[in-house]
Amino acid sequence: MEYSREIYWNVGQQVVLPMYILSGVSIVLMIWWGFWRRIKIYRNGKPLSRWDKVAKRLGDALFSTLFQTRVIRSWGAGTAHGLFFFSFMTLLSGTFLVLLQEDVVAPFFNGRFLVGKFYQWFSLSLDISGLVAILMLFGFVWRRYVIRPEGLTSNQDNWIGLSLLLLILVTGFVLEGVRIAATEMDKDLRFWSPVGLAVAASVDDLGEKALRNVHMVIWWTHLVLVMGFIAFIPFSRLRHLILIPVNVFFRDIGPTGKLVSLDLTDESIETFGAESLSDLSWKDILDSDACVSCKRCQDRCPAYATEKPLSPMQLMNQLQALAFAAPNKGSKTESDTGMIEAVSRDAIWACTTCRACESTCPATIAHVGKIVEMRRHLVLMEGAFPGPEVMAAVNQVEINGNPFGLGYADRGGWAKELGVPTLSESTNVDVMYFAGCYASYDKRNIQVARNLIKLCRAAGVRVGILGSEEKCCGEPVRKLGNEYLYQTLAEENISAFKRYGVKHIVTNCPHCFNTLSKEYRDFGLHITVEHATTFFAGLLAEGKLQLKQQAFECTYHDSCYLGRHNGIYMAPRALLNAAGGTIVEMEKNGMEGVCCGGGGGRILAEETLGERMNTRRVNMAMHTGAPLLASSCPFCLTMFEDAARAQDIEENIIPKDMLEILAERL
Amino acid sequence: MKALIVGETRQGELLNASQEGAAFAEIIGAEPVHFLVGDKENLPWVRGPIYLADVSKYGEYSPNVHLSLLLEVVRREAPEVIVFSHSSYGWDLAPRLSLQLKAGQISEVVDVRDGAFVVPACNAKLRRTIRPLGDISVVTLQAGAFGPFQASEGTTTVIDVGTDNTDTITFSGYEKDATGDVALDKAEVIVSAGRGVGEADGLTLIKALAAVFHGEYGASRPIVDAGWTQPNRQIGVTGQVVSPKLYMACGISGAIQHLMGMKNSDFVVAINTDKDAPISDVADVMVVADLKQFVPVLIEKIQGR
Amino acid sequence: MKILVCVKQVPDMASKFTINADGNWYGEQGLAWRMNEYDEFAVEQAVRLWEQEVGAELVVISIGPARCREAIKKALAMGADRGVHVEDENCFKKDPYQIAGILAEYAKGEHFDLIFTGMQSQDRGSGQVGVLLAGMLGLDVVTTIIGFAYQDGKIRVKRELEGGLKAVVEVSSPALLTCQLGLAQPRYPTLPNIMKAKKKELTLISVDDLQQLPSLSQTALVEFPQRRKGGLVLEGDVNDLADELVAILKEKTTVLARK
Repeated sequence: MEYSREIYWNVGQQVVLPMYILSGVSIVLMIWWGFWRRIKIYRNGKPLSRWDKVAKRLGDALFSTLFQTRVIRSWGAGTAHGLFFFSFMTLLSGTFLVLLQEDVVAPFFNGRFLVGKFYQWFSLSLDISGLVAILMLFGFVWRRYVIRPEGLTSNQDNWIGLSLLLLILVTGFVLEGVRIAATEMDKDLRFWSPVGLAVAASVDDLGEKALRNVHMVIWWTHLVLVMGFIAFIPFSRLRHLILIPVNVFFRDIGPTGKLVSLDLTDESIETFGAESLSDLSWKDILDSDACVSCKRCQDRCPAYATEKPLSPMQLMNQLQALAFAAPNKGSKTESDTGMIEAVSRDAIWACTTCRACESTCPATIAHVGKIVEMRRHLVLMEGAFPGPEVMAAVNQVEINGNPFGLGYADRGGWAKELGVPTLSESTNVDVMYFAGCYASYDKRNIQVARNLIKLCRAAGVRVGILGSEEKCCGEPVRKLGNEYLYQTLAEENISAFKRYGVKHIVTNCPHCFNTLSKEYRDFGLHITVEHATTFFAGLLAEGKLQLKQQAFECTYHDSCYLGRHNGIYMAPRALLNAAGGTIVEMEKNGMEGVCCGGGGGRILAEETLGERMNTRRVNMAMHTGAPLLASSCPFCLTMFEDAARAQDIEENIIPKDMLEILAERL
Repeated sequence: MKALIVGETRQGELLNASQEGAAFAEIIGAEPVHFLVGDKENLPWVRGPIYLADVSKYGEYSPNVHLSLLLEVVRREAPEVIVFSHSSYGWDLAPRLSLQLKAGQISEVVDVRDGAFVVPACNAKLRRTIRPLGDISVVTLQAGAFGPFQASEGTTTVIDVGTDNTDTITFSGYEKDATGDVALDKAEVIVSAGRGVGEADGLTLIKALAAVFHGEYGASRPIVDAGWTQPNRQIGVTGQVVSPKLYMACGISGAIQHLMGMKNSDFVVAINTDKDAPISDVADVMVVADLKQFVPVLIEKIQGR
Repeated sequence: MKILVCVKQVPDMASKFTINADGNWYGEQGLAWRMNEYDEFAVEQAVRLWEQEVGAELVVISIGPARCREAIKKALAMGADRGVHVEDENCFKKDPYQIAGILAEYAKGEHFDLIFTGMQSQDRGSGQVGVLLAGMLGLDVVTTIIGFAYQDGKIRVKRELEGGLKAVVEVSSPALLTCQLGLAQPRYPTLPNIMKAKKKELTLISVDDLQQLPSLSQTALVEFPQRRKGGLVLEGDVNDLADELVAILKEKTTVLARK
């Protein structure tokens, strides 16, 4: 006998029409009443085109949703969510296959495919999926209501959603069990639905009439629950089912972390940055609505971890609440002009733009851009800074091209005794070294610059500098919101590069690197810009740079702007290994690396709130037991030296730039 | 040549202006005549006659009235040079007088050279020698530049001077900072503690050294971070930027953030065990010594001087 | 109400200074320019008064070569209504009396109710121009103010004296005030104001049209002070070190000469 079953058993074909009407109503309700009004609110944001590369966007949205790629990156809850999703999708496909056969293939083509061996496995996989889904749901409930991880927020959406899902799954099994009890107890097929069979065994003795009555009631209950679930989606956190794939579709597809350059030439524009929600784009509002409060960003935020008043997740929640507080108005409303105060200035200034939040967000929310937009408002429209020390530093960048207030004419002074030519003296060089402010002026980082020159020379690379014609790349002031000063600096630097026909720039500062290679493109700079680590890794691979292996042990700190912003994780490690280094990784490394506290212009600011980020990171390095903390960023080095000094642990852990380690092994 | 030296009284106290002006007059070989709005019971110990206006009548700060009094003395004495201290009193009153006399004024004189006066320029990065062009000139002296004239006895002649003029500028009292803000940027001497002081106790030594100079004490970032002193004493990019006449960096290695806060000091003494510490770049004198041994001896020497 | 604020463009003091060919001032190469810091406080106070007195006009004036327009623009971006640039390539050769004379010549017909200047410039530091200008215009002047309040023509200021002491002084407008650092933290110009400043009225006047007075003093020489030749390193016995240091402090500084 061929395995199969009678679809619409007991309820009969007459349920098809009401079933479809009910589904239609709930779906229309979801879309029109639920999402349409949300879309209207998103449209309060400024226009932004995200319709380029549609195929790539679509592919990414589908792939990352179906395979849960961004969700399962986080072990534990992420894995459980992935398993639940896969199970639920299996169940959903099962239902669709049934509908496809019964309401399309059978009536119009007179065929059936849910038969035989296929049906056996179909039954088994649905049964297992249902079981896994229920187990995962219990896991969710256990985590949310028993373990209660720090920072996880719950509201009624959570218990309603979880209850609905549980009831849908349980009623599904009851339906199956009742049907098996009534129709399949004599067939081998029943063993292909083990969970259903277990239910069937417990209700077997009710008798067919009772079973049929129970079945009828449960069937409708199950249907109503499912429809209710669908209608509930837009009105609860469950909207992430729709919004996250949509958000992934519309996400910023790079270059990673690149900020939007403001058009400062258009004189008709008189406001800059974001004071209210309507100054942000529709995508920013969508971001806030797509946030499901999974708190992964908050768990990784260095500001949050050091008791600053910033949490990327809470920021999204605040923006979302503002956006929906006065839903029916188009332009600036009373509630949304208070965005800055709602978020709080301290929170806005606390961000180090390290991208820990963005890189981990399963919904691909862009937190940093919003914060920078708010900072742009504060600096460009109010002349406000996180503190007077920052304003003084910014003024100094304006006057002397460096935040220290040192004479611009001395910028190349460090290189004089090394005989490094400035390009005004000779353009006969292979690469131009863009030293940046720290390596130009800070005694400690000048040592790093000198070692870079040493390494270049050992590899036979002729290197020149701009000297007094170089200016701050503008990264810290830009991240603080001062787009105007940044653009002035960018234009001056680019015109200097062009004046000397520079074709290849090397820099050891990841902030300069990120800015020159990525952000300066908006101002017409399209030349090769390399960070020292990849540059020397390349020379090492080509055999031009020879290092004497000398064993040592160290830990390596990934600079945010090298790692998360530019994906450079391997080159520095390869170099350290080539120099004879054994790297004892910190628990948080690579993508999960923790900011030193110097990013986002914070290097210029006093850290007055909470624990110091640099101390926290140095302590993590201490835990590895390695005597050496290698890094490849002048900000990181400065922050770590400060932290090691302040705690008096310089004997236990020595912060070094990795170029110094390499140069010792020439 | 005759020099009219303008003295100063503040909060009932006689200041050093007369003594320093007398020392200056001696250097330029001028015959000293003094002027003071003060109290006849409390006169400076100087040579030469002193024109005294009663401070209880003319006030400590009443620039237009003091100007009238001065003009009267100038009319009587016809000095070639009129000497003020470069102080809040002197730099306020001197230009008023020089305008009335059409006299060239040279501010903040630190030295005299061939009848011309040397003044600092650009945060003491440069020195400028200025020559007055008229028959009469007005100078203000940098405080302390001309060591106080030491007289063994008080002045012989006191001449009362007065005026009926009143002032349109009203002085209505002194105010002392109630908040106890640390005026590091105004201190002439700052003794600063760095991590090299060792422990919180080390700071006591630094405070004592600051006290013998009548200066203030400051600190580098790690000291503040460690909670050994208040953030309002932090010197550096993220703290206060100072330019005292003497900056003593004790146990400070000289991180750039710190150097930026004190590099404009007139004279820098660094005390450190490491003579190559970055602070040596900006130090005029680098004392290679252990603070705990050196500072107590230094305090003793200065006090016993 | 009409307010005038006088500003000067000076080199940033962190610059590496050279001496010009005539040996009478610094050379201009390698210098970064900025508004005199004291004047920034003067501008800020003037702008705050302008904000307080609705309908007031705030004029900013500067004497110097073309580059000094940057300082005027900064003041305009901070909030001044219009600028006056007295073009003078040789202003560094003029003494305070002449500079004050030029400003007085401009200001005498304009009848300003209040004039703000810095208490001194960072490069010259004479501290005279404000007081001389007031005298030439017949205005009362209070120097070194660190606090300011204005109400119906009555001005109440705090003068900064030595040792954390302040004097409270009252005076009526018209008057001139010279401003000390710390008076009112200068604002950071907003971008819309920077844009607007580019379009604000800027009057150019040749210095020849305003200069009337002879100089009363003359720079004979500009030189570097003898100091910091690599720095002296003292090593040895603590006792000797202390003696040596005391001797050096007596010789090179004035801090032990007083009190």
